Amino acid sequence: MKSAGLSGRLLLRQGRSGALWMLIAGLAVATAALSAVSLFTDRVGRALERQASEVLAADVVISDRAPLPEHIEARARELGLATSEMITLSTVVFSDDESALFDVKAVSEGYPLRGALKIADGIGRPDRTTDTIPAPGRAWIAASGLRALEIEPGASVILGERELVVEQVLTWEPDQGDGPFALSPRLLVNYSELEGSSLLGAGSRARYRLLVAGDERAVTRFVSSTRPELEGRQQLQTVENAEAQTDEALEQARRFLAVAALTAAILAAVAVLLAATRFSRAQRDLIATLKVFGAQGGEIMRAIVLLLAWLVLLATALGAAVGVVAQHLIAGILSAQMTIALPGLRLQPLAGSMAFTALMAAGFALPPLLGLRSVPPMRILNRSLDPGTAGRRALWGLPILAALAIPVWQLGDFRLALLMLGGSAALAGLLALAAWAAMHLTRRLAGRASGAWRFGLAGLSRRRGASVLQVTALGLGLMSLLLLMVVRGELIEQWRASLPADTPDHFMLNIQPDQAEPLRRDLEELQVGQLQIRPMAIARLTAISGDIPPEDAFTGQVRLSWIDQLPPANEIIAGQFWAPDGKGQISVAKRWADRVGVKLGDRMTFDSGGREFTAVVTSIRNVDWNSFNVNFFLLLTPDAGEFLPHQFVASFHLPPDKAPELDRLARTLPNASLLDVGALIERVFQIIDQVSRAAQVVFAFTLIAGLVVLLAALEATRDERRVESALIRTLGADNATVRNGLLVEYAIMAVIAAALATLGSAVTGWILAEELFQFRYQPGIGLFIGGFTAAALLVVGAGWLGNRSVLKTPPVRILRAG
Amino acid sequence: MAREVCFAVDAPGGRLEIVKNISLELPAGQSLAIVGASGSGKTTLLGLLAGLERATSGEIWLAGQRLGDLDEDQRARLRRARVGFVFQSFHLLPSLTALENVMLALEIGRSDNPRAQALSALERVGLNHRLDHYPRQLSGGEQQRVAIARAFAGSPDILFADEPTGNLDRKTGEAVADLLFELNRDHGTALVLVTHDPRLAERCDRIATIDDGHLSGDASPSPSEQSDPSAARQAAGA
Repeated sequence: MKSAGLSGRLLLRQGRSGALWMLIAGLAVATAALSAVSLFTDRVGRALERQASEVLAADVVISDRAPLPEHIEARARELGLATSEMITLSTVVFSDDESALFDVKAVSEGYPLRGALKIADGIGRPDRTTDTIPAPGRAWIAASGLRALEIEPGASVILGERELVVEQVLTWEPDQGDGPFALSPRLLVNYSELEGSSLLGAGSRARYRLLVAGDERAVTRFVSSTRPELEGRQQLQTVENAEAQTDEALEQARRFLAVAALTAAILAAVAVLLAATRFSRAQRDLIATLKVFGAQGGEIMRAIVLLLAWLVLLATALGAAVGVVAQHLIAGILSAQMTIALPGLRLQPLAGSMAFTALMAAGFALPPLLGLRSVPPMRILNRSLDPGTAGRRALWGLPILAALAIPVWQLGDFRLALLMLGGSAALAGLLALAAWAAMHLTRRLAGRASGAWRFGLAGLSRRRGASVLQVTALGLGLMSLLLLMVVRGELIEQWRASLPADTPDHFMLNIQPDQAEPLRRDLEELQVGQLQIRPMAIARLTAISGDIPPEDAFTGQVRLSWIDQLPPANEIIAGQFWAPDGKGQISVAKRWADRVGVKLGDRMTFDSGGREFTAVVTSIRNVDWNSFNVNFFLLLTPDAGEFLPHQFVASFHLPPDKAPELDRLARTLPNASLLDVGALIERVFQIIDQVSRAAQVVFAFTLIAGLVVLLAALEATRDERRVESALIRTLGADNATVRNGLLVEYAIMAVIAAALATLGSAVTGWILAEELFQFRYQPGIGLFIGGFTAAALLVVGAGWLGNRSVLKTPPVRILRAG
Repeated sequence: MAREVCFAVDAPGGRLEIVKNISLELPAGQSLAIVGASGSGKTTLLGLLAGLERATSGEIWLAGQRLGDLDEDQRARLRRARVGFVFQSFHLLPSLTALENVMLALEIGRSDNPRAQALSALERVGLNHRLDHYPRQLSGGEQQRVAIARAFAGSPDILFADEPTGNLDRKTGEAVADLLFELNRDHGTALVLVTHDPRLAERCDRIATIDDGHLSGDASPSPSEQSDPSAARQAAGA
C-alpha cells in the first residue's frame, strides 16, 4: 500500500457503522463537557481573585505605623502601576450635641483602585456607585455614625481641628476591614484632612497604607522588588494572603458544576471504551482481508493511529466548539443576577480539555484498535481466530490516569474529584459484581426454563462477559440520568429548605452591657425568631504557647465571645466543649486554627486594655458561616471572658410586619447599630437558583454522555444477537419467541442496572449533599419507584428499538452477510 | 512445495493434530484439487500453503521462498507480489464498490496503475457494467466474479481458492469455475483449489485427498522433480 492514509480512508469508509459515530460522540461529549465547565470555572476563578483584590481595594497594600518611604510609591509609578494613599485611625468625632469613637479613613484620589464605593443621600435612600472621594472639607459617614452623632446629612462634624460637612451616607466600601462587625462607625474623608493634622502626632494609632494596582506582571515585579526591603512593622499584603471574603455560594456553584463535568467526563470515557471496543471488533474482517492481500502489520498500525488521530481531531474540535457555546449559556444564566462581573473568555482551558480527550482516546480506544494488528490473516478462513489483547491492556492504564488527572487539575478540587472517581469506580465494581452474580444465576435458570425465557436466559449467560460489561455501563449511564432528572431536583429543593424561613436577617451591634437584657425583652415582645444576644470583646493575641503569633490578617486585633453551651450552627470536630474543669478554656473555629496554626492544648495569650490573660485550646469547631447566626472564630469559657470590657451583638429574624416597631426600638438605642442582612440572604437564594439553572446546562452534557453510554452498551452485542436470532429463526423459531427472548434478556439487564443505578444515585446524592451543601439529603420515594421504573423501561425500550432490525431482516440475509 | 508438514493446536482434550506429515509439490501452471470430508484439514492445509498460518513442523516453499524463514510481514510481502485468493464467502468489503474492491488488492500490492488494471480485470470477468455497485447490490455469482477479478488483477504466480463455488448454485458455480480455469490457463497461474465438489476437482490436473490430516492420492509431481528442490522452485515460478 502506498501510504497509511489510504488505510485510514478505508477504515473510515468501513466505519460508517454506528460504532464509529458513537466513538466520535463519546470523544466530543467528553471535550464539550469539560471545556464548558473549565472555561466557565476559569472565568469564575478569575472573578473571585478580582473580588479578593477588592477586599484590599488594590492588588497590593503596603502598610506601616509611620508614613511610608516615598521611593516605594515612586517605584510603583515607574512600573506603570496606579497608586493611592490612605491613613486610618480611631478617634472621637463630635457633632453639636454628641460624640462617638469613629474609624476614620482618609483617602487620596484614585481610591479604591479595585472595587467601588457606594453612597446614598440619606439613611434608607437608594445607594449608588461612585468613582469619586469626599472633597476637602466634606465627609462621608456610615449610617450607624449618623445615628451615633444624632445628625442628618448636611450637618457639620468636628474631626481634630477640622470642621467637615457630612455630605453622603457611605453604604459600601470594598475594604471594609472589620466588615459589618466593626465596632466603630466609619468616617471617610479626603487625604488632605489628616495629612499634617495633630491627630497624627506622637502616640497616635494611625496606620499608613499605600495601595497599588495594575498589570499583573508589573505587580509581580513590584512585589518581588519591594518585599525584601520591608523593615520594622511594614507589611505587604497581596490578594493571595488577603482575608478573601470568598463567596461561599459561588464557590459551591463552582464545585457543583465541577461534579457535573466530572460525571460527564467519566461517562464519556465509558462510552469511548464501549464504542472503541465495538468499532475494533467490527474491523477484524477488514484487517484480515488486508493482511491476506499483503498489507503489513506496520502499515495497519500506522493506519489505525492515523484514523484515531483524525477521529480525535474531529471530535475535539466539535466538542470544543460546543463547549464554548455552552459556557456562554452557563455564564449568561449565572451572570444575569450575579454580584460579580465575569471577566472575558480565556481559551487556555480548552487545551486541557482537548488533551483529556486525546489521552482518553489513547487509553481506551487505542488498545483494542492496536489489538487489530495481531488479527491473523487465517481468520479469513477460520472466523473463530481472534487476537488476544488482554495482556497488553494493562500498559494503557497510564494515559487513562493522565487523562483523569486533567479534569481533577482543571477543576481544582482534588478531594471532590477523588470522591467522584472513587465513587464511580466503586459503583462500576459493584455493578460488575452484581451482574456477574446474576449471570451465574441465569445460567442455572436457563436449563429449567422453556421457550422465550430459555432463549433470553441462555443469551445472557452465553455472552456473560459482554453482559457484565453492558450491565455495568447501563448502570453508570442510568445513574447519571437519575442524578440529573430526580436527585438534582430533590437536592436543590432540600438545599433551599436547609436555609429555614426564620434565618436571622438583622444584626444589632454596639449594645452596651446594661442594654442587653432590656433589649432581649423588647425583641421577644416583637416576636423575633432565632434571637441570640452574645457578648463580644476585642483583644490582641500576643502569644501562642509562648511564641509570637504569625503576622496575619487573622491575628492582631481579634474578637472574642464567651458562652457556656455550644451555640447553634457550630459543631465540635476535636476536643471537648468544655473540658471538665470548665475554666480558662478557648474553642477555636477550624478555619482560624488552620490559618494561624493553632492546635488542641495550645495556650493562647491575649492583651485586652493592658490586661493579659491566657486560655487553653480545648476544642476545634466547624462553623456554618452561611447560617447567618452571630458566630465567632474564638469562644472563651465565661470565666475567662466576663471580666473583659465588652459590648453585645444580637442577631434575629424579624417578622415582616414588625419593621416600624424595630425602627422605633433602634432609636431608643442611639449607640447601637442596626444591620439588615435580609438582602444578603436573598442573594444566597438567588445564587442557589442560578446555580441550579446553570447546572442544567452542564448536566445536559452528562445526560448526552449517559445516553451515549446506554446506546453504546446496547449496541455492543447487537451484531452477535442479529446472527443468533437469524439462526434461531432459520431453525424454525417464530418471531414471537425471538422477540420475547430479547425482551427477557433486556428486562433482566434493565432490572439489575436500574436497581443498582437507583441505589447509586441515592448514595451519590447523599454524598454530594454532605460534601457540597453541608446538609443531609433524604432520597424521595419518587427516586425509588419512579426513577427505577423509568430507568428499567428506558433500557428495555432502547434495547427493543435498537434490535427491531434483528426481527425485520430476513434471516438468510443476516446469515449470508455473516 | 510442502515437505513433511504438520500442524497441531492445543485443544481442551489435549493436543489436536490437524495436518499430519504432508508433502506435496505443484509445478507452475498446474492445478491441484484438495478434496476431503469436512474437518479433514483441507482448509488448514490451504492456509499453511498460502502462508496464512505457520506450520508446527516441516517445510513449505512458496514462490521459491521457505515460509518458515519469513516473519509475518515478509510473508505478507510475498503474498502481495505472488499470490491470489478466492474464498467461498467472497470476502468483498461491503463499503467498497466492485471497482474499489479490486483496486484495494492492487494498491496493497503497490501497483503502478491500480485503476486501469482493475478496470481491465473486471472487464475480463464481464462486470464492466457493474463497476460502481456495492457487494450487496450484486448477486452471489457476480460477487465471486469480482473476487476472481481481484485475485487475477495482480497477475499472481499461484492462486489459492477455498471452495470457490461452495456458495453458488450449480449453474452459476459452473460459470464461475469456467472463468477460474480459463484465467488460470491464460495467465499460466498455478492453482490450489479446496473443494467438496468432485466435478470441480476433476477439472484440475491433479487431485489429492486429505483424510484425518493425511494426504493421499496423486499429490506428487514426477520423481525427478521430487528429488530436486531447485527444480520445484523453478516449477512454482521462482
